[in-house]
Amino acid sequence: MKCEWVRQNIVLHVYDELADDARYELDQHVARCTECAAELQAAREFRQMMATVTVAEPTPNLLASSRMRLQEALETAQQGGFWNRLTFDPGVWFRQIRFSPALAAILLLAGFGGGTAATFRVMSDRAGRDPIVDKSPSPEEANITGIRSITPEPGTNRVNIKYDTVNTKETAGSLNDARIQQLLLFAAQNNTNSGVRVDSVDLLKQRLNDSRVREALVYALRYDNNPGVRLKALEGLGSYVPDDVRVRDAVLETLSSDSNQGLRTEALRVLEPVRADASVRAVLERLAVKDQNRFIRDQSRVVLAQLPEID
Amino acid sequence: MAGESLNRIDDTVLVREAQRGDRAAFEDLVRRYDQAVLRLALRMTGSEHEAQDIYQEAFLKAYRNVGNFRFECSFYTWIYRIVTNLCLDHLRRKQVRREDSGVVVNADGEEFSVIDHTADERANANPERDLLRRELGSQIGRALEKLTPRERMVFELKHYHGLKLRTVGEMLNTTEETAKNTLFRATQKLRGALADLR
Repeated sequence: MKCEWVRQNIVLHVYDELADDARYELDQHVARCTECAAELQAAREFRQMMATVTVAEPTPNLLASSRMRLQEALETAQQGGFWNRLTFDPGVWFRQIRFSPALAAILLLAGFGGGTAATFRVMSDRAGRDPIVDKSPSPEEANITGIRSITPEPGTNRVNIKYDTVNTKETAGSLNDARIQQLLLFAAQNNTNSGVRVDSVDLLKQRLNDSRVREALVYALRYDNNPGVRLKALEGLGSYVPDDVRVRDAVLETLSSDSNQGLRTEALRVLEPVRADASVRAVLERLAVKDQNRFIRDQSRVVLAQLPEID
Repeated sequence: MAGESLNRIDDTVLVREAQRGDRAAFEDLVRRYDQAVLRLALRMTGSEHEAQDIYQEAFLKAYRNVGNFRFECSFYTWIYRIVTNLCLDHLRRKQVRREDSGVVVNADGEEFSVIDHTADERANANPERDLLRRELGSQIGRALEKLTPRERMVFELKHYHGLKLRTVGEMLNTTEETAKNTLFRATQKLRGALADLR
């Protein structure tokens, strides 16, 4: 009976699925039973043999094209769930009904009646300290509906941001200020004004040690429809290509499929430090043969020619 | 462990935002798991085209139904459940006959071995060893084809994706005990089919 139990549980033991007490019992039995010990050894060899064959990762091209296809499909896909529509963030809801004339008129009247445009300037009350304190409600308490402008102060790391909630507000502060960073992140992804997005990405480039900022710039590189914004993002992310695989993948996608040839050229330059990487090499090999753009084909071949041969 | 908790909290935040209609939040969720999803679909279908189709269908399904997600499991388990079911449907519908197991059809219609495609960058790689590995890969592929779709899925998720059988059971809408029994049957069949190699 014991041997039968052991044989049925050996595979669970090998795959670390046994509870501690069961594993102990099995080990005790195997120490005394040569047949079961041989069976355990065979099961371990089987697992090792299966593990010698590694699983191929999807190629960067396949992943990139899958993501692009999905993104296109998501643009027309509808979410289900009637009740979900009642739990919208009011800011998102406001943006969705902005083309509804009657409702927009009501909101406008409410805005004029109750809202004020306020400007608050953050003052540093002590020399050498970053200005933090501000009288306006933090963006977390209000619903941000848009960023109107971002104005860096020359010669300092302070920035002036004008943003809309139901009212228009303005705030200023250091790039180290969490609230300023939040507004810049919002601007980089949500603003309908590409100039504001360019400004925000340009400033966020200085904070790439923050993973949220890096994700925002990767997002901008992948999905912003303005090539100027994408180029700013790429400029900032370049130094992270050797160390951050997500950044490298995003730059590879840009090289493979961005609609702007200037961006693709810049992506190729940015990937130079990691040109020997297997995923980069694979993309370059494909581009060298199949890319429609002659310059990209030629440059890919040039980079590949500089790589050492794989033995 | 702390990292896993943080990840799960982040997923919860993203799911809630996606449920409120924030597509960017959904896309963030996609990017967390899509490489693993595509890897699984590629292994189960052997075709880049079909893997892409399954990838697309899985995430569109998730997007359309995220409003019904009730946090009874992790988003990770939920998306894997969708993908595994699509892969099982694929395995059941199609008869995949491959002369050389582990062969993948790429977007240009060319066939290449999944093993060949995995670049061996180890410093001590050599051609003879590579050849033996490819042959082994072929035999393993043929042995995997002898499993039932469910056995194949359980084995793939356990062996190649390292998931706990409890999670595998959740993904396949069954119990951990059933997943254990299925793994046992799958490994017995595979060991029998590969006995000559040892």
